Amino acid sequence: MIRFAVRRIFHAAVLLVLISLCSFALLQLAPGDYVDAMRLDVSISPGTAAALRSRYGLDRSLPSRYFSWWRSVVRGEFGVSFAYGMPVGSLLWPRMKNTLLLAAIAAIGSWFIGILLGVATAITPSRVLEHVIRSVMSALLSTPDVLIGLALLLLAVRTGLFPIGGMGLIDSGSTSARARDVAAHLVLPVTALVLISVPVLVRYVEAAVRDALRSPFIQAARAHGIAPWRILTGYALPAAANPLISLFGYSIGGLVSSSLLVEVIMGWPGLGSLLLESIFSRDVHVVIGATLVSALFLITGNLIADLLLYATDPRIRVER
Amino acid sequence: MIRGKSAIACGVLASIHGLALVANFAAPYSFAAQQREFAWAPPTSVHWLDRHAHFHWRPFVYGTNGADESRMYPLRFFVRGASYRFAGLFPSSRHLFGVDAPGVLFLLGTDGFGRDQFSRLLAGSRISLTAGWLAAILSLALGTVLGGMAGYYGGWLDDLIMRMSEISLALPWLYLLLAGRAFLPLDAPSSMAYLILISVVGILGWARPARLIRGLALSLRERGYVLAARTFGASGPYLLRTHILPDAAPVLLTQMALLAPQYIMAEVTLSFLGLGIDEPVPSWGNMLAGVQHYHVLTSSWWMLLPGIAPAVVALCCFTIADALAGRRGVVPL
Amino acid sequence: MNSSLAHRVSAKAPVKLFLRLSVVVFLALGCVVYRVPAEEYLVTSAAPGKYGGDLVVAERSEPKTLNPVMAVENVSREVIGLLMADLIHINRYSQQTEPALARSVDVSSDGRRYVVHLRQGVKFSDGYPFSAEDVLFTFQVYLDPKVDAPQRDLLTIAGKPVLVRKVDSDTVLFEFAQPYGPGERVFDSVYILPRHLLLRPYTEGKLNDSWDLKVAPAAIAGLGPFRFREYVPGQRLVLERNPYYWKQDARGQRLPYVNKVILEYTGSEDAEVLRFENGGADVVSRLSARNFDALAQRRNPSEILIDAGPSLEYNFLFFNLNDLSTKNLRHIESKQAWFRDVRFRQAISSAIDREAIVRLVYAGRATAIWSQVTPGSKLWRSANVVSSPRSVGKARTLLASAGFSWNQAHKLIDSSGRPVEFSIITPVNNSERVQMLTVIQQDLEEIGIDVHIVTLELRTMLSRITTTLDYDACLIGLATGDADPGSEMSLWPSGASAHFWEVRPTAPPPLWQIEIDRLMTAQMSSNDPRERKRLYDRVQELVAVNLPIIPVVSPDVLAGSKAGLRNFKPAVLLPYVLWNADELFWGARQ
Repeated sequence: MIRFAVRRIFHAAVLLVLISLCSFALLQLAPGDYVDAMRLDVSISPGTAAALRSRYGLDRSLPSRYFSWWRSVVRGEFGVSFAYGMPVGSLLWPRMKNTLLLAAIAAIGSWFIGILLGVATAITPSRVLEHVIRSVMSALLSTPDVLIGLALLLLAVRTGLFPIGGMGLIDSGSTSARARDVAAHLVLPVTALVLISVPVLVRYVEAAVRDALRSPFIQAARAHGIAPWRILTGYALPAAANPLISLFGYSIGGLVSSSLLVEVIMGWPGLGSLLLESIFSRDVHVVIGATLVSALFLITGNLIADLLLYATDPRIRVER
Repeated sequence: MIRGKSAIACGVLASIHGLALVANFAAPYSFAAQQREFAWAPPTSVHWLDRHAHFHWRPFVYGTNGADESRMYPLRFFVRGASYRFAGLFPSSRHLFGVDAPGVLFLLGTDGFGRDQFSRLLAGSRISLTAGWLAAILSLALGTVLGGMAGYYGGWLDDLIMRMSEISLALPWLYLLLAGRAFLPLDAPSSMAYLILISVVGILGWARPARLIRGLALSLRERGYVLAARTFGASGPYLLRTHILPDAAPVLLTQMALLAPQYIMAEVTLSFLGLGIDEPVPSWGNMLAGVQHYHVLTSSWWMLLPGIAPAVVALCCFTIADALAGRRGVVPL
Repeated sequence: MNSSLAHRVSAKAPVKLFLRLSVVVFLALGCVVYRVPAEEYLVTSAAPGKYGGDLVVAERSEPKTLNPVMAVENVSREVIGLLMADLIHINRYSQQTEPALARSVDVSSDGRRYVVHLRQGVKFSDGYPFSAEDVLFTFQVYLDPKVDAPQRDLLTIAGKPVLVRKVDSDTVLFEFAQPYGPGERVFDSVYILPRHLLLRPYTEGKLNDSWDLKVAPAAIAGLGPFRFREYVPGQRLVLERNPYYWKQDARGQRLPYVNKVILEYTGSEDAEVLRFENGGADVVSRLSARNFDALAQRRNPSEILIDAGPSLEYNFLFFNLNDLSTKNLRHIESKQAWFRDVRFRQAISSAIDREAIVRLVYAGRATAIWSQVTPGSKLWRSANVVSSPRSVGKARTLLASAGFSWNQAHKLIDSSGRPVEFSIITPVNNSERVQMLTVIQQDLEEIGIDVHIVTLELRTMLSRITTTLDYDACLIGLATGDADPGSEMSLWPSGASAHFWEVRPTAPPPLWQIEIDRLMTAQMSSNDPRERKRLYDRVQELVAVNLPIIPVVSPDVLAGSKAGLRNFKPAVLLPYVLWNADELFWGARQ
């Protein structure tokens, strides 16, 4: 198991290096750089703009810029943001925390609801309930993410019940008051993310539980007279866990990326909104930093999924 | 096979595509026609009962988009309107339905320029549907080839392709799109620029179908008849073409039915972020982009309605995919 | 024995005490008189207010830095303007100069020497006293070529940097190489830096890296109404009241009135409006016309919405008039025969329905313009620029006289029979300009011209108009920070950095361009305001007739605040609403 983990970590490191290489190369494709937008500001002369360009190293060749970026990575800075004049690392870290908070709570929420609804659909004898849940989930799945976000925004504007935008965190007040404020600001984005990710989860959970319930050992258990509830919790769900664990791994990465749209629409101060702004302003080190972070999430998610699978599913250990 | 719900879904999809094909004919107005005096007009109400509670067989609308109840304009079929080329072939100026001027019929309201949203929805369906299918075909084709090779040959090729797929899933494809947009020559028609953009999105999306096909190829290559063919000296490509891929056909079809709506949604997101097709050509995505503005969000609720179109298409496609997958269990998304 | 000693001591004690006291008093007086001059305040003319409350301002982008040398975009400049002060300040509302840190300025008769008398007793926001040393240090930093400050270009006149000399501890002499048209306006926004905090970074060459958003509040100080308190990444910047601020109101109360200014970052203009409506923000500015109307229609009694009239921003259409002989752009070169004909440009200008744009795109909250100077610039607008309403007939006549005609399909063709069509590029991020182009597209269709609208990402578009020169026409908007024509020097003379329509000019330039060059140079070195106005009026007339650019509309400045905020007076110069942040106060309960 240790060797497996080490091999995967090594692969992940190589992957991150390759991603950084590809990103750097891609960034040069689009013409123009960060300093170009200053042409429209008539108070900044071309001389100042050129000086700014050389300060940021934007007039150097691509390999030379890539190497100095690596030197900065070793120092822990991950390059310098042109816009903020600060190391990218210190820019990304607080935003990353905000996105992780949002993604974690949304993940808990959507998995909870997903498992609930998925198991319900799989085991319910009522065709009506099964049909209703399936239809609602299908409708949600079909609705574009943009529409879900905008509709929630409209609801919030019309009812005025929830704060829109920002994270709260008034600096005066007790910890519990601050926590309540953050929670109030979390309601809208979390709801949007949950609505976006639940339908897929319900499908998978339902399919996995159904499959597990059809297997021969479950029929044998039923023949033994074991209580249905015990069958479900003690036998079927553990068997259904296998595909779900891999899904969990993938969903971590997916959640972070779908949070980009939600953050932009709802104004949540996370990584996604920073990434979008940096892309449009060509703040390339921030873009690369944020890309690496999201790649890291994806790879970590896969790694966790693989490790969990290895640990929980004896079949895989036997195969090896 | 195809029955019940999936039959309805097929029917709905077919009619949507049919409407898209004859969009110019089916729409009462041209998608670019500005009627500036009716900017931000809510949907026109169509009546069967008039003020005196008389029933009319032919539905009608009131003048000035419903404000002037003294004038009534009945709905007619095959009216004369703006000229266009039917299916791009021969010129015509007949529209499926409409009202005589100066009456107006805005089934879904108008935007800031007084352009009929319903006509734009129909015209936009061409762009969005083509984009979705094109991207889906490209991504599926590339994914099948690469995934099939990875699964069948295994070894270092498999490792390489899988690692490449992880990279492509993590890359900033938004950046590539910015680049793509910038390098297109100015006098390329904007629809061409847009299709090239969508192709790039499709090509970049090869990773997900590739993993699926790889799994399939892995399992299929151990099948009896494949092994038998190998002992007879069949080469890899031959096996892939003749034995493995045809068995994979149902899976591929299902994937197609799943990918197309996802790429249509991707188009909606792209236009929302400002990378879509240019004015005045509508697409479902750029029609929704306007809703971000505060004044639209709060006073012009009808601008959200075009969002239903991609939802309907997606729903039908997912229903068909479910039916195709049948009892094979989970439909991998 | 003891009693006589005690007697002597007690008899001399009052005298000793008196002596000691008088020494102390004398020393104290000496300290007060000779070391600590009395504080001189600037008394403002705004209505006096009362203290208390916080001001929450919604901003669509984050400030990026607190360093005046590194700030290149508007939000950063706005924040720095709240933290720091200049010698002479342009009142954004009246557009005239006022003394700020300078108590008074004596100008020599030839307009080259400015003797600045500094206000006395002023302290930085950390309590450290302000003196001429800080002024000298400031200008040394700004003019240092190694620092590359944007201010250096503004302080370089006729190729020579301004000379700064200390006369005494509160007088500084500035000498220009030649008389400078804008005069003392040059000092506006040249913020005075604290020598006691920045000398060390400057000598170590680290000045440009100082004062980013992670700076500790104790390491940054300024002379502005507020001082830096806290930055929460991605959310807000918090400023608190500067207790040493050198302005007071007519009642003798030291400004500013509010305790804190909180700049909330929201991400977009629509998000700003949502925050304003939701009660999270007290002030919102640079609203779009449609959002302004949507807010106005809700008639919320707790909101005040103000339309401050036309801004200095002008949106204009220009054609590619560059010399393309070295580029492989045949298809554009062939169209330049049309673009270069002034009658073609005049016809286009005649065919554009500016009133429709004002009505449709800006809901009436904009003004049609025919020269680059908008009605917002009351002092400089030329009365001779004629506003000609839309006339399709006039456009057709002009085109016909230029050799164009119309074919069977009513499309415009040139003298060789080629149909006239071209594309107009514009940045994608401004939806109002895209809407403007939609109207223009329809207007030009009426005279038979096919126009393609191409929206490009901002930098891509800039690269096309400045480097690759691969475009037919472009629609952008520009706004200079000051109404004075001095800030337009980077636009009008040929070869200037923002002379976008002719980055590579053809030789020889047309006569009117040569005339414009001469006029602009002349007005920069004249210090007679009437003469400058005469010269600049002529520039406007030449632009309006020869149309190197086709001005279209100028949008209004639209802002909003909560009802209790007093002294809220949006101006048309940036920063629109925070220019008098030190005078704003809460009248009713916040």
